[in-house]
Amino acid sequence: MYMVETRGLGKYYTFGSGNQVVALNDVNLAVASGEFVSIMGPSGSGKSTLLNIVGCLDKPSSGDVYIDDEKIDYGNAGSLVKLHRQTMGFVFQGFNLISTMNALENVWYPMYFNKIPKSERKERAEELLESVGLRDRALHLPSELSGGEQQRVSIARALANNPRLILADEPTGNIDSKTGGKIIDLMKKLNKEQGITFIVTTHDMVMANNADRVITITDGEIID
Amino acid sequence: MVKLLIEAFLLAMRQLRIKKVRTLLILLGISVGVAAVVGVTSLGEGIRVNAVEEIQKSHDLTLIEVSPGLSNGNIILITESKVRAVRESGSVVAPYVKDAYVTSNKTYFEVNGISAEYMDAKNLQLETGMWFKEGTYQIVLGSDVGEKFSKIEGAEIGNSIDATIRLYGEEGRAIDKDITFIIAGRLKPTGTDTDTDDQAFIDINVARELTGKDVYDGIMVKLDKSSQAPGARTAIEKLGLTCYSAQDEIDSVNKIMNGVTLVLAFFSGISLIVGGLMIINTMIVSVYERTHEIGITKAIGASEPDIIRMFLSECIIIGVLGGILGDLLGIIFSFLIDRVGRPMLIAQLGIGDFEHLTVINIQILVAGFLISLVISVIAGIYPAWRGAKLDPVKALRQL
Ligand SMILES: Nc1ncnc2c1ncn2[C@@H]1O[C@H](COP(=O)(O)OP(=O)(O)OP(=O)(O)O)[C@@H](O)[C@H]1O
Ligand SMILES: [Mg+2]
Repeated sequence: MYMVETRGLGKYYTFGSGNQVVALNDVNLAVASGEFVSIMGPSGSGKSTLLNIVGCLDKPSSGDVYIDDEKIDYGNAGSLVKLHRQTMGFVFQGFNLISTMNALENVWYPMYFNKIPKSERKERAEELLESVGLRDRALHLPSELSGGEQQRVSIARALANNPRLILADEPTGNIDSKTGGKIIDLMKKLNKEQGITFIVTTHDMVMANNADRVITITDGEIID
Repeated sequence: MVKLLIEAFLLAMRQLRIKKVRTLLILLGISVGVAAVVGVTSLGEGIRVNAVEEIQKSHDLTLIEVSPGLSNGNIILITESKVRAVRESGSVVAPYVKDAYVTSNKTYFEVNGISAEYMDAKNLQLETGMWFKEGTYQIVLGSDVGEKFSKIEGAEIGNSIDATIRLYGEEGRAIDKDITFIIAGRLKPTGTDTDTDDQAFIDINVARELTGKDVYDGIMVKLDKSSQAPGARTAIEKLGLTCYSAQDEIDSVNKIMNGVTLVLAFFSGISLIVGGLMIINTMIVSVYERTHEIGITKAIGASEPDIIRMFLSECIIIGVLGGILGDLLGIIFSFLIDRVGRPMLIAQLGIGDFEHLTVINIQILVAGFLISLVISVIAGIYPAWRGAKLDPVKALRQL
C-alpha cells in the first residue's frame, strides 16, 4: 500500500500561440507510507508543480494521483478540502505564515478550519510549538521571528491536524545551512518517531543525503 | 458552533483593526448615508404625525357621516329600514335631511332638518336664543349664517326670514315654495367644523313635510369609542351606504406622507450607493493584499465557503457598526432639522406651533440599521467570491 502514487501524471500549459510548456510529463511515482522522499532537480524542472498536484492545490492535465490507494477526484472540492484537513500538511519555502497572527495562532489555524474547540486547539498548538522548541515564542508575530524559527512554526502548523503526509517545497530554501540542518533533523525525527511520510523538494544536498530515497526530475520527467 | 461563529467575527474584527483608517472611512461613508435616510424619514414622519394630530384635534373620530351609497350606477337611498339597520352600529344614530333655500335677497343657505339626537351627536351648542320648538318654523342658525343674515338681511333673533325652496314635481317641473322661518337661536362658532357654521337647523319633521321627502339625506352616527369606528363603518358600508369620517382624512394624509417620505428617503439614500461602492473597493483591495494569505489558508484546510465567510464577517461587522453609527448620526441630524427647521417653518408659513418637526421612532432606526447591514453584505459578496475563487498555486507564488 502506497501513501502517494501517481500514474502517467502530466501538466501542460498551452498558450494562445499554440506554444506548450510541459511542466510534468508521464510522471509515475510511488511513495510508501512512512517513507522520506526527496525530490531534486534544476530550477523549472517541475518539482513544485508535482508537489502542488499531489497536494491538491493544482489539477493535473493528464494522469491520476492516488492517496491511500484512493484516486483523487480533482473536480470534487469537498473531497480536496477533506484531504487538506485530515491527511496532509504543507511546509512552503519561506514567508508562509500569516503575518497578522502570532506563532500560536498560526499553529492552531488549521485546527480552526477543522472545527476543533478553541481550548483543545490552544493546548495542542502549545504542545506542537514545544516540540519544535519554540514554546517561549508562542506570542510572537512572524515578523519577530528568524527565518529558521518561522520555518519551525510552519512545521508545527503542518502537524496541527495530525497528518500522515507532509509535503514540503524547499523548506530550507531561504535559510542558512546550519539552520537548515536543524529543520532537516526535525523533519527526520518526525518521520522516524511518528512515521509521517515526507515528500520534500530541495536543492540541498544535506536534505538529499538524509532521505530514504532521492528522486531526480528534469524537464518534467523523472530520471533514475 | 456558536463559539466558532463568534471566533470568526473576532478574527474579522482583528482584520478591520489592522486597517483602521480604511475601516473608519468606510464606516463614515455608510453611516452618513444611513443618517441622511434616517433624518429625512424622521422629517417625513414628523410632518405626518403633526398633520394627523391636527386632524385629530379638530375632528371627532367617534363620528361617522353616512350618506346615500352608489352601486352599479344605482343610488342606494337612506330609507327608514336602512336607518333601523344602522341603529345597530352606533350609540347615537341621527338621520337628517338637508335642503337648499334662498332668501328674497338671493342669499342661499343650507337647512338641515334635525332631531335632538343630531344635536347630541354633533354636540351643537347654542350661543344665544333657544332651540326651535318641534312642529314650528323656528330656525337655529350656524354662526356664519347668523352673521351673514344679520349683515345682509338685517335679521336678528326673533325676526322672521322669508325663504323659497325649489322643488321638482312629477315631470321634473320646478315648483317654488315660499316659507317664513323665525329665527330662534344662534350657535356658537365651532371654529373647526365649517359645515355646521354654514348651516341652519329646523325640526326634522317640519323639514320633511316641507319637501315631502320620504327618505333621509344622511345619518350622523356617534360611537362611544373611536376604536369602534372601523367595525361600524364596515357594517354600514355592507348596507350599501357611503361613510365618511375624519379617519378618511388621516388615511389620506398617511398615504400621501408615506409616499413623499419614501421618495425623499430613496433620493437621500443614493449616497448609500457611494458607501456600498467604498466597501466593494476596500474589500477588493483587501482580497488583493491578502492573496498570499488566502493561498496558505486554502492549503491548510479552508474551503471556499470558509473564505467567503471570512470576508463576509468583516462586511457584517461594518454593516452593524455602520448601522449603529448611522442611526446615532441620524438622530443628531433629525435633531438639527428640528432645531433649525421648526422655527423657520413656523415663521414662514405662520402655521400654529407644534412641538416637534421630526419624529424618530424605533422602526426608522431599525430600518436604518438594516439598510446598512444589507448594503454591506451585498457589497461584500463579489469581493468574497473573488477571494474564494483564487487559484491557490498562483496565490502562493505571489508574495
Ligand atoms: N501558470 C503557469 N503558466 C505557464 N507555465 C508555468 C506555470 N506555472 C509553472 N509553469 C512552468 O512549469 C515549469 C515547472 O515549474 P515549477 O515551479 O514546478 O518548477 P520548480 O522545479 O519548482 O522550479 P524551482 O526550483 O525554481 O522552484 C516551469 O517551466 C514553469 O515556467
Ligand atoms: Mg519550486
